[in-house]
Parts: sequence; structure tokens; C-alpha cells
Amino acid sequence: MPASKVIVLFPEASYGAALNCVGIAQELRRNGAQPVFICHPGFSGVFAEYGFAEYQLAGEIAGAPTDWNEFIESHKHAFRQSPMEQLQSYVAPTWNAIVDTAIRAEEPLSKLLARLKPDAIVLDNVVMFPAIANAGVPWVRVVSCAETEIPDPNVPPYLSGCQSGHPAGWRAFESAYEKAVAPAHKRFAAFVADTGLKAPQAPGFLDPSPWLNLLLAPEIIRHERAIALDPETFVFLDGCVRKEAPYTPPRFASNNDDPLVLTSFGSLGAIDVDMMQRMIAVFADLPGRFLINAGNWRDAYQHVPDNVFIDSWFPQPSVVEQSSLFIHHGGNNSFCEALYFGVPSLIMPYCWDGHDNATRAVETGVGKTLDRYSWSDADLAQSIRSLLSDEAMRQRLKANAAIMQNAAGTSRAAVEILKLTETASGQARASA
Amino acid sequence: MTAKTDRPNPRHVSLAQMILDIALERGIEPGERLAEQALASMCNVSRTPIRKALKLLADNDLVTADADGGFVLTADPSSTPRLDDAVKIANDQQINSAILRDLTAGRISATQTVASLQRRYGVSRQAIQNGLTKLAEQNLAERASGQQWLLNQFAVSREAIAKSYEFRLATEPLALTLPDFHRDLTALASLRQMMQALRVMNEATFDRNMFERTDFEFHMMVAKGCGNPFMVEALTNHHRMRRETHGGSKVGTFRLMQSNIDHIQILEQIETGRMELAADLMRVHIQMSQSHRPKLAGRGVPPTFKIA
Repeated sequence: MPASKVIVLFPEASYGAALNCVGIAQELRRNGAQPVFICHPGFSGVFAEYGFAEYQLAGEIAGAPTDWNEFIESHKHAFRQSPMEQLQSYVAPTWNAIVDTAIRAEEPLSKLLARLKPDAIVLDNVVMFPAIANAGVPWVRVVSCAETEIPDPNVPPYLSGCQSGHPAGWRAFESAYEKAVAPAHKRFAAFVADTGLKAPQAPGFLDPSPWLNLLLAPEIIRHERAIALDPETFVFLDGCVRKEAPYTPPRFASNNDDPLVLTSFGSLGAIDVDMMQRMIAVFADLPGRFLINAGNWRDAYQHVPDNVFIDSWFPQPSVVEQSSLFIHHGGNNSFCEALYFGVPSLIMPYCWDGHDNATRAVETGVGKTLDRYSWSDADLAQSIRSLLSDEAMRQRLKANAAIMQNAAGTSRAAVEILKLTETASGQARASA
Repeated sequence: MTAKTDRPNPRHVSLAQMILDIALERGIEPGERLAEQALASMCNVSRTPIRKALKLLADNDLVTADADGGFVLTADPSSTPRLDDAVKIANDQQINSAILRDLTAGRISATQTVASLQRRYGVSRQAIQNGLTKLAEQNLAERASGQQWLLNQFAVSREAIAKSYEFRLATEPLALTLPDFHRDLTALASLRQMMQALRVMNEATFDRNMFERTDFEFHMMVAKGCGNPFMVEALTNHHRMRRETHGGSKVGTFRLMQSNIDHIQILEQIETGRMELAADLMRVHIQMSQSHRPKLAGRGVPPTFKIA
């Protein structure tokens, strides 16, 4: 019996990418492969819960621990800004941190890959790790951010939140973005050059894989590209949703016959308890049962209304499936899960591609958006009520959900990855 | 989706009783139709609560839905026990759970009086007192000064989960190695049967409810078998409190399947009397059961934090 293929999955240290990869790994395992995860320092324990081997990148975490409160305060401030303002306060520092991560990971990653001897590597990140390109096996790029991550003359700039079809307005953002990330890119390019590779052209930090690129974006929200992506190397998964534990909603103290609404801004978005409390006060008077993911701050909430239930973690796919509305930050995993289960989105973005998804949700009629902070109680209530009662949108989303579920993105991803390990051309290209 | 175990809204119960009273007064016979609009006028409410009250009567087999979407009386109201009495008994049994659930959800504060809880739950003073007494027996409530009761806020906090693992790690392996540990072979055989049934299930068919029952009974077996009354009391109380307060497990099914295998391995060592080995396995099992997920993650988020 041939040995099973070892597939290394290396998602970035965020829940979206990590759980997206869990979905693919579950299907790889079902197909007889041996998926294993490489974790960034400080980001482990997630994959073991799904029964996967975890290999943490060796080495000390550089620098002194960050002050938790200081981090929260500075981010809470940045999250109030427009995408353009965030270029300096959030995007540029984040790229710097990402480049630091890539530099620190290089040596331990290279050693770990040599030890694991994978048949293929799946990278779900926004930055290139030279150790992966130099590993001598095919590598797959998973684009778990919005489709804007892969540029095109017809696609609004990444992280801009700009509308489609108005390219004249995009230039100012593109130019400011290039300027903001230039210092990080310069450091990154020098680092990549030291490893004997050619760095991606600025302002990019990761080129497409020459073997396979997997995009989550389902057709309903996809952009009309000026330059079509090569179907040989770019595969749209139409969502990529993991199998998760079934969730039974708790009994609420009231409104038990009302529709279920999930609110989750990810673990990072949960830091603003005051903002969430404003929302809860509005939820109290609405005909719904509201589940709220408060992340690490669950115990910070008191006087919770009878129709609200707060927890620190939900098995999201199962909850979204039962929900009538999903209020989220536009994280691509959340957005795709809402679409996968035919649930409208109310997107309140605060950073990164959340801005892009919020704009796209409105453009394609799959949800609404609200500024994260400048809303009145009436705005929020009206947005929720209108999305809950929009029967035409619901029907359209349900029809799309059937298409997405039929596409079985996780299975398709697993098949494409395994195909890559078996084809002679893949091997030939790996050695090219 | 509404849970089947929902406590009926007291207003709907009283409205449902009012409908039965009207049927009795007006001589409506079983088989006759109950007109929603007429009932709404007589009760001076809108049709929505009337519909909910009729649904409640249907749940109690006192009316039945007809083909036109209306309801028909099926029981003789004169020989039907009062609905509010039946619901009151159910409420008496459920009130301690409701108090705990609302405390956990942050809906009520830790300091309460019988009167304030009576107002919230719309039940008798005796029912509230019974519920609080039951919670006190589980160390989840205690009498405070004056008329006040103090609910155990810590028990429902996130920190309690970590402290519970710490406590269990210190006590459960020890319980297995106490000199008077008694192996109840019948209980062991019954547990093994359930665990084996779980073992043959796959990730898609794994019965999480059955696992939770088995998990509770397995850890209670260790607690009750240890042979030291003080340890028995501490551990059994703790497991009961844990079951009441921590809710269902949120970990993935795969981990629960592994946990079931852990249980089987420990059980095998207990059966053969290798208690030190059973204790070692229990130590590993408890540590593996803790969630190690990062609390905060995202692009640009530092991997470690200094908690101020």
C-alpha cells in the first residue's frame, strides 16, 4: 500500500485562515492523505482540537510581551478610521509585523520542512516564506482574503473598500498604499533576495503560486476581471467551510420564537466592549434572539437583555446555518460562511479586507453595511429589521447557497492539492 | 429554532386558561371551533398572543389544529386541571436552572432577593425559595444579610473553568490512588458498554449527548469509588456544579472521540487494579481536555501579551 501523501498546511496566525485550512485538511484526511499543520509561535491548540498534528515553529518569540491594554487602546483608535487613514495607523504597522514574522520563521520553517518531507505545502497567508518556495515540492497558495488580494485593472484596490466601476477614485488609495508599505516592502525584498529568490514586485508581498492558487470568492460576489485568471492554476472554491460540531442554541429568557442573529467580529474585533454594549442595548428591543461572540471579554458584560446570549466561542458554521442574519466584520471566512448557508450579512468592518467585503456585499445585494461607529440606534435597528424581512434577498441567497454547497469547496481543494502531488508535470515544475 | 423545553410564558399560560374558562362559560363543546378573533376581543388582546395561547393548549392536547389553520377544542374544560397549576409545578422544578442560566448569561446580578426573583420568573415565593435552597446545596448560592441571597458568580465565570481543571488535576488522580478505592464492577461494565458504543461511531455519527452522560458518570464513578468521604463529597459536588454551570462542551467532536478513548484506557487500568497507571492516564486526560486556543489572534497581533 503506497504511503499516504504528507500535506503541510501553514496558515497565518489568524482564526479565519486557520479554520479555512481545517476545512481543507478534513477533506485531505478523508481522501487518505496525512495533513499536518505548522503553527506560528503562540498560535497552537486550534488544529489539535480537530485531530491534526501540530508542529510549532521552534525558537523564542522575539521581543518583550506586548502590553495587552496598550494594544487594545491603540487598535480601538485605528478601528474608528477610514481605510485611507488606516494605511498609516494600522496597515503599515501590520505589514511590518508580518514581514518580521516571515523573517523570524525562515530558519525554523526551513528545518521543519526538511524534517517533515511533505509532498505539497499549502500556504494560507499574505506574505511569501522563502523556505516554502525553496522546499522543492509544489506549494499551493490559498487566498482566504477577499478576491481583491489578487489585483486586476477592474478590481478595486486591496483593503481600500472602494466601489467597483469607479477606477478614477482608486488611484489616490493605490498611491497612498504603495507609499505606506514601501519601508516594509524594502526590508522584505532585501530578506527575500538573501535567500536567493526574486521578491514580489512592490507593493505585493506574495506572488501567485506557479502550481495552484485557491480562491474562496463564490461567483455571486466575484468581480469581472479585465485579465482572466488562468484556470489551470487559479481555482475558485465557492467557499471553503469546515465541518464543525453541531450547536444547539441556548434557551433564552424571552423571544424564543424569534429569528436567530449571530454577531461576531472575530477575536480582534471583540476588544471594543463599549461598542458591543451599544449594540446590545439596541438588540434588547428587537424581535430576535441574538448570539454574540465576545471572545476573551465574555465576563465583561452585565445586565444582558433576555433575548441576548454572550459567549466566548461558537462553532460558527453550525450557528450561521441556523441564523437568519449574520452581523460581522467582513472577515472573508465569515462572509463566505454567511453566503454558504444563504444568510444575509450586515457588515460593520474595522480593518483589512473587511472594508472590501462590506462594499462588495452591498454591490452584489447579499447584505448591507454600517460604519462600525457612526450609527444611530435607529440605523442599526432598521438595518437588522430590513435584512430579516427581505424575502427576495433570502430566496436569492438560499439559491446561491445550494450552488455553493454543491460545489463542495473543501473537497475540490483537497482533490486539486492531491492531483498536484501526483502529476508528473507538477514534479517537473517543482524542480524547474 | 425553539427549544422544546421552553418554559411557557406565564402570560400565555394565563391567557390559555382564560380561553378554557370562556369555553366553559359559553358551553363550547369538544369538536367545536375556537375563533381567534372572537377570543382576542373577549380577552381584550391582539390575535398574536391568542395564537400563542392556543399553541400552548395544543401542546397540552386540549385543542387541535384544523385544516384551515384554526383550532378546535378537543377536551372538556370542566374536567381539565387548571393549566396554571400544572405549569407552576414544572416551574418549581425548573426555577433553579433558570436562575443559574440567567446568572451565567449575565442577565441577573449576583445579589438577589426572593421578591426580585419572584417578579422576574412569575412564580410563587415557595418556588423561588426551593430553587435557591437547591442551589445552596450545590454551593451555587448562599444567604446574605437581610433578605438577600448571594449567587456564586465565580462558578459561572470563564476563570472558573480553568480553576476547575486545576482542582481536578490535583484531586482526581489522587482519588484513584487512595487506599480504600472501591471498584464497582457492575458500574464499570455498564460504563464500558457505553464507551464501546461511542467508540464505533465516526465523526459524523458521534453522539455528543451520550458522550456527555458517559463523561459525567465516569468521573462520578471515580469520585464515589475513592473510599474517602471527604474526597467523595468534594468531587461529587464539583462534578455536579460543573455540569450545571459549564454547559455543553464546545470542543470539536474529534477531541471528544479522543476523550472517550482516554476514558476507556483509564477504565481498563481500574478494572485490572493498576491504580497508579490509571492516575497517570487521568492526569494526561485532564490536561488534554483543556482548550489551548489562543485568546486573541489576527494579522499583526503579537503572539504574547503582558496582562496588566
